[in-house]
Amino acid sequence: MRAVVKDRIGTFAPQGFIDGENARNLLAPNDITATANLKVDMLLVSLKKVVFFNKNGMSILISLLSECKKNNSSVSLGFCDYDDSKFVTMMKFFEDDHSISLFRTAEVAKLFGQSTKEEKQKNILVYSDDPSQRNALTIELHERGYNPIATLTREEFSSKRQSEETFYEVVNNTHLGLFGKKIGIRVVDNAIIYSLDGFLDAKMNDIFDMTYHHNSLSVGFTLFVFDLNKVIAMNVHGVNFFSRLSSAGAEYGASIAIIGLSFEKTPKAFQEELEDGGVLFFDKLEDLLNNKEIMAELGGNEGSIKQSKRSLTKVIVNELPNFIAATVTTLEMMTNTKAIKESAAVQKIKIENTDKMLASSIGFYGDIDGMMLLIFPVNIAKRACELLLGEVTENTEDLLDTLAEFVNIIAGRLKALLSEKGTSIEITLPRTYEKIDTLITSISEQKGVQINLTFKDERFTFFLTR
Amino acid sequence: MVTVKELDAYIDQIPPAPKVLQETIALLDKGDLVKAAIKAEEDKALTHYLRTLVNRPIYGFANEVKELKQIFGILGLSNAKQILYNYFLHLIVPKKWELFEISNTIFSDLQALLNINWNKLLVSIDIDDKDISSSIALLPASIIVCESIFSSKKEDVELLRSVKQLDYNTILKRLSGMDLFDVGVKIAAKWEMPEKIGEILQTASGVKPSKDEQIQKLGKYMHLLFFYALSTPKCINSGLNDFLEFQPDYIADIYENFSTVIGVE
Repeated sequence: MRAVVKDRIGTFAPQGFIDGENARNLLAPNDITATANLKVDMLLVSLKKVVFFNKNGMSILISLLSECKKNNSSVSLGFCDYDDSKFVTMMKFFEDDHSISLFRTAEVAKLFGQSTKEEKQKNILVYSDDPSQRNALTIELHERGYNPIATLTREEFSSKRQSEETFYEVVNNTHLGLFGKKIGIRVVDNAIIYSLDGFLDAKMNDIFDMTYHHNSLSVGFTLFVFDLNKVIAMNVHGVNFFSRLSSAGAEYGASIAIIGLSFEKTPKAFQEELEDGGVLFFDKLEDLLNNKEIMAELGGNEGSIKQSKRSLTKVIVNELPNFIAATVTTLEMMTNTKAIKESAAVQKIKIENTDKMLASSIGFYGDIDGMMLLIFPVNIAKRACELLLGEVTENTEDLLDTLAEFVNIIAGRLKALLSEKGTSIEITLPRTYEKIDTLITSISEQKGVQINLTFKDERFTFFLTR
Repeated sequence: MVTVKELDAYIDQIPPAPKVLQETIALLDKGDLVKAAIKAEEDKALTHYLRTLVNRPIYGFANEVKELKQIFGILGLSNAKQILYNYFLHLIVPKKWELFEISNTIFSDLQALLNINWNKLLVSIDIDDKDISSSIALLPASIIVCESIFSSKKEDVELLRSVKQLDYNTILKRLSGMDLFDVGVKIAAKWEMPEKIGEILQTASGVKPSKDEQIQKLGKYMHLLFFYALSTPKCINSGLNDFLEFQPDYIADIYENFSTVIGVE
């Protein structure tokens, strides 16, 4: 069984019955390892479609999941999507087992993920019979930028829950086990915010996800903010870490900003040293995020890609048929309509009508590197969305989510196609754009291969650049 | 990826029911087990199929049963008809399974597991009806249809499923407007099976409730029984556990009786 990975959370969804006889077959060690290798922060088993489980079966699942901790100790493990009675049963089975967490729904689990979109000030209603759990839930949510509202009694919880629509999410019947300590990551507009705590020393090199950072640089993020409000002290290893990060980002025109570092136990000279290396310091996150001029200058505003001066290589052009095949077959599959190729040319991007268009992009690097940009008429996006969601949606967020999935599928297919020819690439996180004007302007001087296709008379544009 | 035209072409190439099989079933409907056995013996492939199936360990016969008269006698009218209906699927079972990692032996075991437990469930709810008893035989048709339609598109479907936990039935429905069970019903009609079987099959999908109370109840039991069978280690390993979406809410009201009758613990 394969896990679906989204927002760095891998979820297995078995169906039917789980017992000691079949549990080992539900989660094959290879599938767990493959999922853990995708750099997930959390590995979950959804019980949504499970009608029966017993202790033997669940114990086996936990021991199988725990195997992945040998290679990645920071991954959190748990179960999600259960009803009240399943929660009570699970608590009876595993109350003293701190290796797993229980999340009422997958959406609740997502709140506790390490990588989140900015959900600042969103109210979360919290309740647990166990006061220590209630505190743990509240603290973890607060650390992730939410506004947890803890209720002390079941009556208070029930009363507040009556106005459920005022809460972004309700967290109850949820139990936090040991949480892997990692660096929290949020994305606000086009800035990536890392949240750190404790002491910044030589361990930074171990806990910082450099692959994620490189991916973010490759896909065009240029502003990286380190929220150090909860950092007690930083030593010279911490300074070296930021200096190296700043130098490495210079090639991409990226900037590093540090927020809220206290100098009670950290020498003030470190700030001057880092400022000399181009690192920016701010007291509060708002000082940076609310300053539109600085954000624009640093590339932190939504909807643009930093201009690249690199040109397409012969190797990429040679692989073009693979790029097109991956895109066309995937789009044909998701819209169940035939594509007609209209034109193909090496040129600067040219989109005649930017109205009612959405876009998504994904970078790739390795033996070859570059970026794919897909520009969709809203109607094609809706059709592709229909297959994944099962209904027509007008919700732009759903459409953009689908486009991110879509470009991910294409890149995955491309990776497989190239791998057959011995060309190895890694892919970055996808990005989506609700308004494409700024995007087009920001890459208007870059040359690339533009291919125009039509699907049922709707024009779709593929643009490959570096 | 899959169009209605392709589905129609698939149904067109399904062979009609063999004459001997039709005549054997007609004799069973008249209640004549002996004549039915004699008629069945005219078809060597059918005879071989029945002998092999009935002598599987799951049927629990201590000694090998060879004579069709003996087989039909032991099974009785309802079970004999049920097994003949299993043979219909044998006619369209793929020579080589590609989408699911399954063998025809595992498929036959699945059919047997469904048959035996279906009979227990029918007894528990006081239903004695040859057509209803036989209806379980067509349930695994959804697996064969799925294999036939998607085996050449395995990579496409796997990519899609890697981003969204979609089952094959849902994918087919969203692509073509028809699902695996609709195709199954068309096949049943082609084989001139009673209409009731098609209705129960549709309800067993878990997404098409029936207005008929009895059919609705039977559909729920069949849906749950299907997932009970698909939760066996062999079915999980073959990829069958997630080919269709299980609907736990749909079967909530019959679960207790089911678990008692089948002995879930």
